[in-house]
Amino acid sequence: MPALRTKDLTKRFGDVTAVQDLNLTVEDGEVFGFLGPNGAGKSTTINVILGFLDPTEGTATVLGHDVAHESYRIRQRIGLLPEAFDVYENLTGREHVVSAIETKGARDDPDAIIDRVGLDPEDARRAAGGYSKGMQQRLALGIALVGDPDLLILDEPSSGLDPKGIKLLRRIVREEVERGATVFFSSHILGQVEKVCDRVGIMADGEMVAVDTIDNLREEIGAGAVVEATVDEVPDLDPIRSMDEVREVSAADDVVRISCSAPEAKMPALRRLDDAGTVRDIDVEDTSLESLFEQYTNGGATETTGTGADASGTTGSTDDTATATAGGGD
Amino acid sequence: MGIYTVARDDFRNARRSSIVLGVIGVFAALMALIFLAEMDIYDDPYRTLFDALFFVSLVLPLLLAPLCYLSIAGDRISGTITYVMGLPNRRWEYFAGKFLSRFAVAAAAIALSTAVGFAIAAVTFANVPSIRRFLIFGGVSLLYALAFSSLFVAISAGAPSRSRAMFGAIGAYFVLIVFWFGFFPFIRLSVLLDTIADLPWVTLSETTRAYIEAVSPGTAYLQGTKPVFSGVMGEYEAFERSFRTSDELHTEFWFNALVLLAWSAVSLTVGYLSFRRSELG
Repeated sequence: MPALRTKDLTKRFGDVTAVQDLNLTVEDGEVFGFLGPNGAGKSTTINVILGFLDPTEGTATVLGHDVAHESYRIRQRIGLLPEAFDVYENLTGREHVVSAIETKGARDDPDAIIDRVGLDPEDARRAAGGYSKGMQQRLALGIALVGDPDLLILDEPSSGLDPKGIKLLRRIVREEVERGATVFFSSHILGQVEKVCDRVGIMADGEMVAVDTIDNLREEIGAGAVVEATVDEVPDLDPIRSMDEVREVSAADDVVRISCSAPEAKMPALRRLDDAGTVRDIDVEDTSLESLFEQYTNGGATETTGTGADASGTTGSTDDTATATAGGGD
Repeated sequence: MGIYTVARDDFRNARRSSIVLGVIGVFAALMALIFLAEMDIYDDPYRTLFDALFFVSLVLPLLLAPLCYLSIAGDRISGTITYVMGLPNRRWEYFAGKFLSRFAVAAAAIALSTAVGFAIAAVTFANVPSIRRFLIFGGVSLLYALAFSSLFVAISAGAPSRSRAMFGAIGAYFVLIVFWFGFFPFIRLSVLLDTIADLPWVTLSETTRAYIEAVSPGTAYLQGTKPVFSGVMGEYEAFERSFRTSDELHTEFWFNALVLLAWSAVSLTVGYLSFRRSELG
């Protein structure tokens, strides 16, 4: 039995269609990355799954229960880290966790949960209204973990978290999966999910435009990597151009730019360049995943064959995010 | 477990907020002021209870409105409802928990102010205050608080935004208190009833008018407190002027108590049904 399944799920608000004919299956025990830019319909989908919103058409089941009629039973077995939520401002973080334990009829030790999500015990005894965004996210993660849920729904869990917090989040996701839980991880940043997710689904304008493993998506779209090498003197570039997975090579002043169709093609190309002349410095733009994401969400990649041109077109504009992704990795 | 946890968390959150403590404190302080102001005017504490009635009938809803109008609407605006409803709480548990918590604050305000009034009366008035009369006063005031906190929480449950919740609460106060009691020369129930009675095809008997006037929680509260003055009704002219004495049902205590309970029951039912259907998030 899949942990989550939607069938032709559609949600409209008046004339606005937030989610259109969504067919999604999340298998038991997997980590599923639910991706898409803001406004793609991710949170609407999650709110339908939680029973907060009624589907306009179609159905959704969670752990075998229908979302429209068995929301209570579903919420007994899931853990939720919501995107837009607020705490009771005069209750302490610990009191929130204790209430969650009571409501779920669980036997967790609140202090163990607070410790697990890295919330300082002193902070946990302060009013939660004064928490920073990061502390509030840790608290919400703790609340989600109460009662060893079968399905964890994490909606933008890394927003507000520092790199240490993001690392902790990934570790907890892995621990939860090892325990046997399924994780549904929603994010608008691909870099946040690629390290933990078995599969990803990409939403754009209310529709699911791609579902696969990241490797398969990358392969399908032909996205690769770009390396820029600063050389003493630009050599003959034809031997590099003739390599199998090299898509394009260009030079400007003393910088040679090599665009590869696969990330692992970078090193052989660099070696050949270094053999022909002296490479003094390199700069890697591992933009493949971000550009892949952008292509899908900009609606260009699904049918077109000329994806290579799109990829090189988006590469330049995603430098910042690519650098941040590479820097934040562990 | 759900309803208790929701109510306790909401009550605890309210208790630690200085605004709510302020509301309770101000109510008790005003009640104290009434008794202190009248200690040299009247010998009987129950005469001051009579003045306190009017104070409660006008001011209690004004204090309950800010206390209740955001009880559910505020949670929906801020997103606190996502925390509560993301946990296994049923909608009626959330609704009931919120209502119980706010009503508990109102009950605390009434209990404290009645106790303060009694204590001051015991120390400063010439005649000893009757515990029974103060208890009846507190009890009927609780029914009044029940009616208005139900109404305001129900408005909050049905309001999708802060402004609508606010207009709903102010509107309810205006219609049920200001309009029904007739504070303004023309915008008042009696004028409306006169206009209706003047229509050629309508006959409006005095009895019907009296029943219409009796169904507001405000009038039901004032008439419902008649037992506070049992046995002393003839002592002060003000009593005889204010309390209706006739064979009609609407002058009976139980009728007025039922009116207050009906306001609570109908409000809570309509509020819950609207909340049960509403989409969150």
